Amino acid sequence: MKNFQQNLKKLEATDTQVLGVSMDSPFANHAFAESIGVSFPLLSDWGGDATRKYGVYVDKYKAARRVNFLIGKDGHILEEQLDSAAIDPSKIVDACERPKMRQ
Amino acid sequence: MKKLFVAMVLAGVILLQPISKAAPKEDASAMPKVGDLAPDFKMQYFDGHDLKEVSLGDYRGKKQVVLAFYVFAFTGG
Repeated sequence: MKNFQQNLKKLEATDTQVLGVSMDSPFANHAFAESIGVSFPLLSDWGGDATRKYGVYVDKYKAARRVNFLIGKDGHILEEQLDSAAIDPSKIVDACERPKMRQ
Repeated sequence: MKKLFVAMVLAGVILLQPISKAAPKEDASAMPKVGDLAPDFKMQYFDGHDLKEVSLGDYRGKKQVVLAFYVFAFTGG
């Protein structure tokens, strides 16, 4: 999440809203956001409905995988990053900054 | 007769194997791919004062959205 925070200005400049998601409670996520200096919302998927809908639920951990989705204004998925490849969000930041992205 | 029975059981075991092997893949295939419509969601976050509700539809036609799933709060960045 810190890596997205570092790129937040670039992402906001390209009309992009960053939303973190985990299966923690909203209050745990708020405390987490404050402790690492994250200013975008960290959403609580309590119960895991969204995590399952996006196919990133891992039964072994009873939690989500680390996965980033970039979703276009039309609601279609433009980019995905999985697991260790999702730590550095450069691919998503670059895609946002690429001119004439598919709308 | 016994031999035939054993052969049938063995054949059954061999035939059933691919089915049981395919099962763990279920999770991965459920993930939407690039180009797919992103599933809608409704989730809450706490802004320090109130619980706020967010859905993907809020941004349709207005903003792109990065949805960044992470494992647990307070584990790494």
